[in-house]
Amino acid sequence: MSILRAEGISKRFGGLLALSDIDIRVEEGEFVALIGPNGAGKSTLLNVLTGLTPPTAGHIALDGRDITHASTHARVRAGLGRTFQRGRLFGRLSVIENVMTGVANRPGRSGRELRELARAQLARMGLERFAEHAIGSLSYGNSRMVELTRALACEPRVLLLDEPAAGLNSGEVEDLMTRLRAISTERRLAIVLIEHNMGMVMRLAQRIVVLNFGSRIAEGTPAAVQADPAVLAAYLGEGFSHAGL
Amino acid sequence: MRSLLGVAALLIVGLALSLIVSEYTLRLLNLAVVAAVAVVGLNFAFGYAGLISLGHAAFVGLGAYVLAILTTKLGWSPWLAAVPAVIGTGLAAAVLGYPLLRLKGHYLALATLGLNVSFGIVATNWIDLTGGTNGIANIPGLTIAGHELSGERPFLWFGLAVLAALALIAAVIHRSRYGRAMMAVRDDETAAAMTGINVTRMRVAAFTLSALYAAVAGCLFATHIHFISPDDFSYAHSITHLAMLIVGGEATIAGAILGAVLLTFLPEWLRVLGDAYLAFFGLMTLAILIFLPTGIVGLATRWVRRPAPPQADAAIGAEEASRP
Repeated sequence: MSILRAEGISKRFGGLLALSDIDIRVEEGEFVALIGPNGAGKSTLLNVLTGLTPPTAGHIALDGRDITHASTHARVRAGLGRTFQRGRLFGRLSVIENVMTGVANRPGRSGRELRELARAQLARMGLERFAEHAIGSLSYGNSRMVELTRALACEPRVLLLDEPAAGLNSGEVEDLMTRLRAISTERRLAIVLIEHNMGMVMRLAQRIVVLNFGSRIAEGTPAAVQADPAVLAAYLGEGFSHAGL
Repeated sequence: MRSLLGVAALLIVGLALSLIVSEYTLRLLNLAVVAAVAVVGLNFAFGYAGLISLGHAAFVGLGAYVLAILTTKLGWSPWLAAVPAVIGTGLAAAVLGYPLLRLKGHYLALATLGLNVSFGIVATNWIDLTGGTNGIANIPGLTIAGHELSGERPFLWFGLAVLAALALIAAVIHRSRYGRAMMAVRDDETAAAMTGINVTRMRVAAFTLSALYAAVAGCLFATHIHFISPDDFSYAHSITHLAMLIVGGEATIAGAILGAVLLTFLPEWLRVLGDAYLAFFGLMTLAILIFLPTGIVGLATRWVRRPAPPQADAAIGAEEASRP
């Protein structure tokens, strides 16, 4: 059974059909990439999945349970995690306190346990030395990693990542990819990745879903999607070939 | 640990002052302590959760009126009457909070201002219950083990003890997951929801906590002055509460207390200015907003911790041990 399944999702903003009858399913531990040109509806789909934007039509189920009308925080507690396109950390909390807000989702943990668990999460991401730092003192790359750590601290079963590599240098992108791959296998965590860095997408994703003008125009393995004429025309461009494949 | 030291300093300074200053200054100190209790409460809503409330005085008034009515009309002991006064005010804030806190920023400020004005209209016109503009007189004072807290000095000692206890509770909440959740909601509501925080519930919790503190301040006020009228809880007082918090340093408990004391005494110190005081006060607040956006406490911490190297883990461990 799919861990996340959305069926017939449509979203209309006034006269604009931002999403049109989208079906998407993600299996446990699977790495799915969501690609498409700017304005294709990728972030809107993430907003609908996380409950930040109500869909005009369609159903969403997480682990077999209907969450179409559930609030955002309830979805998070049910196992849905997300990071944002522009980093959104809590500026008045320290790095470890940011992570602690995520760890605090599971009931029955003492204040001391919250801190220890958050520290362990930071250590696993190689961020332990920043634990007591102010958010404002972090580099851009590190703040993105802290945001990812905070999302992981909620112990999601499906993690939605909105352009996590945007603005990172190539070394940071490599580091991010290694960690994402490790986390995904280690925790049987399903990951949905929105990304414009095609090198990253082609190397990480097991399956790619392509959106254009709010519709799904292709879906398949990286190799199949790269060869799809509709995808080449809409997004990748004629003559696209990724050396890593 | 730091909050324990802060509370100890508050008690020592208060106690020392209570032994040396004049009766008139004692009265002002009492008013400052009552205001400080209210402003420490407002800090939950405004300082932590970022809710701009211009109706805090209405909750002070609600607490004061419930206590006054129960003691003067039904002959309850003020201790007993304080219980429904505080709990009832908290419930009222929770019930009002659910619809009200859907509003944000300026809209919330206006709605709470309207709430405060409505409170004044009800208190003025429900004459049978509230005595209208004549207010309620002869509110009995508090007694401890048969001794009435009649003088300014004993009342100040009691008031300081209450303020110290409430400030400690506020410090514990500030450091707890609930305090962090409130600040997360203020910093980024969407990201807070996306970390599993129930945003509406945290907002209502912060608003309710602030009203509970306000009601305690109202009970202290009523038993100290023995007389209340609608004017004591007008929206102007709500604005003063907000000014106290901003001048002292929002989102800090020490700032709330400092601001309350300073703005209680400032009109006395600047009495020579006469009507020009309001102009001075306005300019001072403006200057603080521009040059000291973190208030007096912010200035103090900037002086104390100027070259702050990244803290060693030893200090963090010690802090952890004092955590609840």
